[in-house]
Parts: sequence; structure tokens; C-alpha cells
Amino acid sequence: MSDQDRGSLQQLMAGLAHELNTPLGAIQSNRDVLNRAVARISDILADGVVDDEEIEHVRSLAQTISEVIEIDQVAVDVIAQLVASVRNCWRPDEHEKRCVDLHRGIDSTLLLLRHELKNRIKVEKEYGKLPPVFCYPGQTNQVFMNLLLNASQAIEGEGKITIRTYEKDGHAAVEISDTGSGIESDSIDRIFDSGFTTKGTRSGMGLGLRICREIIERQGGAIEVESTVGKGSSFRVTLPLGGCEEVAGDL
Amino acid sequence: MTEESEARILLVDDEEMVLTALRSFLQLETPYEVVTHTSPLDALESVNGQPIDVVIADFMMPEMDGVTFLKEVRDRRPEATRILLTGYADKENAIRAINEAGLYYYLEKPWDNEKLQVIVRNGVERAALFRELDARASELESAHDDLDGIRKRLIKALL
Repeated sequence: MSDQDRGSLQQLMAGLAHELNTPLGAIQSNRDVLNRAVARISDILADGVVDDEEIEHVRSLAQTISEVIEIDQVAVDVIAQLVASVRNCWRPDEHEKRCVDLHRGIDSTLLLLRHELKNRIKVEKEYGKLPPVFCYPGQTNQVFMNLLLNASQAIEGEGKITIRTYEKDGHAAVEISDTGSGIESDSIDRIFDSGFTTKGTRSGMGLGLRICREIIERQGGAIEVESTVGKGSSFRVTLPLGGCEEVAGDL
Repeated sequence: MTEESEARILLVDDEEMVLTALRSFLQLETPYEVVTHTSPLDALESVNGQPIDVVIADFMMPEMDGVTFLKEVRDRRPEATRILLTGYADKENAIRAINEAGLYYYLEKPWDNEKLQVIVRNGVERAALFRELDARASELESAHDDLDGIRKRLIKALL
């Protein structure tokens, strides 16, 4: 693992920790609220006499308790989704191809990048109809993660990333376009070369575009780029369709 | 001066679950009125219409970050005590922003309710003191104007 890879992983982990902290904070606070509410009810019941005012109080406590429980469920769902996304993007499935829904994989990746994107980048999804794709799910997701991270880092300040998917000539296509700085024409031929970067070491990306290309080409696909300086870049990943007659699983 | 029980707390976070957790606790343990907003822009509009004692805003929000929001609040309601809620990954940025924006406090997620209660209570007292000071300063100002009027009349009468 290079320093660049490590930097990027650290960034992702920090973002993930942040995302987990939100539901965790809610659950932690809610547990405290539940304890307090139950203690209040016990106090009210302690003398064996309950007057009208106390009944009203217990009613409002019951209302609080049920609200808090409801929010706990939401928070737990968010944590479960995040954990599922981590599993989808770093699963040890290197040796097995499976039929998967690419959209779900991209959504998982977006969830993990939420912290990175949230404040400044608008993500527009233009998902077309895609049949299941027979591929290495974890690795393919890593490619999307990489392209999305690159796109986000190419945008200084606010901008937009558009993810377009469609089926064409027996292939599934995923286009990730950004409104970032774009790539100089004398660099564009080299971006898939080993170790090529236009960035400092701090904004290192996951795999590097060379490995992204290897992963996609190994599966019979292709990865292409178009870019205009000052306007942005667009990466298109295509993967061959076929071999998936059964229902697709999660990417 | 606002009576303590009439104090109003404004909570702004794009995550509904955080708002509900904070609101549930404050309503259980404090006498304050709690107003919540998931949109900082809506929250700003509400600030125009009603006095606010304490504002707690999340740092990372899609429409507008918490520091910018709290600066806007300061322009509209200088007496409101402003508190930033921050997550794990933005601590450094948040602290820098706190110094720049002159915020009262920052609260880290996951937060401690006891601490929250103390911060909010102090924030309410601070807002009340601010208002009192403001009122006294106005009194002083009008007393000064009165004196000035008397002085002018005296001068006129003596000339």
C-alpha cells in the first residue's frame, strides 16, 4: 500500500467514523432520555397514588418514550446501512464473479463518500435501466469509489457530479462526470500510467487509475476519459453483459 | 428580560434523528421552548420572526454550514447564545471557525446530556444578561438625552 492509498483510506475512515457518530450520538442521548423518563414514572408511582396532573405527566413521558424509540430504529437502520456499504466495498471476494446490480454498488459507495461530498458537491443520479452484470463486485465497487473520489477532489469548492448509467451494444455503461478543473491535454494520455498524479501526496486516491483500468479490462470491459480544462472530466466504465439469467444479488 | 421558563432554544441539524434526540432531552429536563429545523434557511426565517435565547447548529449541513448560519444569526439576533455541534472529522475546522465567528461553545457528537444541559442553561442566562445590559444601555442613553435636553433649555433660559 502506498502513502497515497493510505491517505485516502484514512480520509474515508474519518468520514465513516463521522457518519457513524451521528446515529450513535442520537442513540446514546436517547438511552439517557429513556432512563430519565422511566425514573420519573417510577417516582410518580412510588406513593401508590396517582392524581390527574401525574397522569398527564405520564402521558407526555410515554409520548417522549415512543418518539425516542422510533428515532432509535432510524439510527440503527442508518448504522446497518453503513456497515453493509463497507462490506460491499471491501469484501474479500476477489476470486468469485457474481451477478450484481451496479446501481446498488454505486449507492453503497456514495453512502461511504457522503461526508466527503455532502457540504459542497451535488450528486445527480441519472440511472437508466441496467440488467445484472456478471463481475467481481468488491473490485468493481472500488473502481467506482475511486472515480467518485477523484471527481470530488477535482472540484474545488462547490460543484456537481453526475452519474449516468445505460445499456449500449451489449454493455452496461457507468459515466461519472464532474464539474471540476479538468485534465490538461498533454496529461490525459498518461493518467492511466502507474504513479501518475496531478495532485500532491495529501489528496491521494484509493487505487490509482492504472489499477482501475486493470480491474475493468480483466473483466472484458473498458474505461475511457474525456476532459476539458476548466469544465470538468467524464469517466466511462463499460462492462459486458450476459451470463446473468438469475436474480442479481447486492453489489 | 426573558423569564427563564419563556426562553426559546433553536436547534438546527439536517439529521432529523439528532433533532429529535436533542429536543426530547431538553423538553424532559428544561422548562424552555424548543424549536427545530432541518433547513438552516428555514431556521433563519424563523429567527426573523421570534426572539431566540440559544441556538445550536450542526457544522456539516448541505444548504449552509453551521458557522455561516450562526454568523447570520448573530446579525439578526445578537443576544442569542450560539453553539456549534460538530462531528468527529470536522473538529479542526470547527475550532478554527469558532474562533473566527466568536461562538460561545462547541459540542462534540456524541454529546453528553449533562453537559448539554449546563451549556444551554448558561446560554439562556447569558442571553438574558445581554438583553438586560442592552436595556440598561438604552435607559442610560435616554437619560443622557434627557439631561442633554435640560442642559439646552437651561442654557437657553440663562442666555
